[in-house]
Amino acid sequence: METNSRILEKVKSFFTEVGEVAFFAIRFFKEVFTKPFETGEMLRQCYNMGNRSLLLVGVTGFILGLVFTLQSRPTLMEFGAQSWMPSMVSISIIREIGPVITALICAGRIGSGIGAELGSMRVTEQIDAMEVSGTNPFKYLVVTRIVATTLMLPLLVIFGDAIALIASSFVEHLKGAVSFQLYFNQVFNALKFSDIIPATIKSFFFGFAIGLIGCYKGYYCNKGTVGVGEASNAAVVYTSMLLFVIDFIAVFVSDIFFEI
Amino acid sequence: MKKSAPEKFKLGMFVVIGTLLLISALYFIGNRQNLFTQNIKIYSYFRNVNGLQTGNNVRYSGINVGTVSKTDILSDTLIRVEMLIEEKMNKVIRKNAVATIGSDGLVGSMIVNIIPAEGAAERIESDDVIQSYSKIGMNDMLTTLNVTNENAALLTSDLLKITSNINQGKGTLGMLITDSTVATDFKQTILEFKKTSMGASKAIESLNEIMATVNFSESVAGVLLSDTVSASKMKNTISNLEQSSKDITTVAENLNALLSQIKDGQGTLHYLTQESTLVRDIDSTLQNIKEGTARFNENMEALKHNFLLRGYFKKIEREQRKAAKKSSRN
Repeated sequence: METNSRILEKVKSFFTEVGEVAFFAIRFFKEVFTKPFETGEMLRQCYNMGNRSLLLVGVTGFILGLVFTLQSRPTLMEFGAQSWMPSMVSISIIREIGPVITALICAGRIGSGIGAELGSMRVTEQIDAMEVSGTNPFKYLVVTRIVATTLMLPLLVIFGDAIALIASSFVEHLKGAVSFQLYFNQVFNALKFSDIIPATIKSFFFGFAIGLIGCYKGYYCNKGTVGVGEASNAAVVYTSMLLFVIDFIAVFVSDIFFEI
Repeated sequence: MKKSAPEKFKLGMFVVIGTLLLISALYFIGNRQNLFTQNIKIYSYFRNVNGLQTGNNVRYSGINVGTVSKTDILSDTLIRVEMLIEEKMNKVIRKNAVATIGSDGLVGSMIVNIIPAEGAAERIESDDVIQSYSKIGMNDMLTTLNVTNENAALLTSDLLKITSNINQGKGTLGMLITDSTVATDFKQTILEFKKTSMGASKAIESLNEIMATVNFSESVAGVLLSDTVSASKMKNTISNLEQSSKDITTVAENLNALLSQIKDGQGTLHYLTQESTLVRDIDSTLQNIKEGTARFNENMEALKHNFLLRGYFKKIEREQRKAAKKSSRN
């Protein structure tokens, strides 16, 4: 009986949290189109989240391209289909692996950062102070961060994909004596709009989810300094889960519109 | 919190490069699908497109020249395939070209191959329809393979019977394999054949030696084989001989015709050759002439001794003697 009530409580709190996140998102859409626009703060956040994540995304993408090509190569060679390597690697990276891996990295770096930053501001009552001083903390802290993540993540995904393909072409060039020109010729022969457009659109949603969950967890942080850690951790966990849910929905919708 | 100028520059670079990468990728992909080039639409009709999809490549002599833009089912046995071809390719693709559906490699996606046909034809234009040729599909191949398998089973069954009969010594082949007498005879035959071939080999060697001793350069055979002037003369001679034989044939034919006319006609020669009475008359006449001539000779001898004509004959004898003396002196 007690267990059932506990489960019921958990389910109730889950739906309550989902509702709160939904209201948080609605508030974001209300605030994002109303003045004043915090452009300077938004650009600063773009720089922090975009440029400063580039090295991490680039290195991860490079290693991903190398490892993916090296691991796939023996299997394809067994079938005598190593000439299909550029097509296979490019489609896999552009469609799925690139956006998901980049989003997970950003969830870890950016999401946790936002959660910790806003959480510490909440527990140190800086947000309350902003409200008292007449500044809209939601617009200044939340909207700028969510817009920044939404705009920067697709760019990070594009960089990550490009670097991964370059790394893959290095492997093919060294192992299979395939020229760079032939490699990228085969890559663009294999790719279609239905590969790159859904992946790019999906990346906007990934960025939005990272910013939204990170800001939500940080903005409503409590329990003092412990809460900051919890907010940071929860932001990463919930964002990662949400990314896979969004990915599933994106693939489902892409299949309907693009017949992938 | 204000942003510094270098940070703004870096952010700008990040955004611009990222956007350019995306646009470049979209451009290259679009370019492969001929979205940014001038295209013409051409059509072809197939009974089975074997999984051909919109966006699949169209190749002309192995080079990508366009993409499949649409496939429409017109009836239960007819599918229209619409293809977008680069406009510049209408210089080489002719109206008599043939479209076939194939696979890009063993496990690749389907493609439309346009194959140039022999013979002259006009350049292809927009909305033209080109002929199609349906290759054998996998199902057809499997059906054929099934029939082949059944035939192979029948063949192996028959082969089994034949080999068992051979093993049992039945038939000519069985006898050849199992009968030792035949084998001995065969061996003997082979030996004889070997001897014969050795003899033939020796004969050929001897012939070669004889041939080697012949001086081909100066002999008639050599001249015939190597001298082009002689060959030309020989050719002329043969040509003249041929002409002569033709003339002889003509003459013979004319003679035959003449003889036929003589034989069948009413002329003097026919009378002379065919009438036996005339021959007898001529014979008796000649006999009479002969007798008359003999008597005339007797009369002439008698006249020589007549006193009236004796002086004339003596005068002639004297003149003859004088002429003989003159000729002996000279």
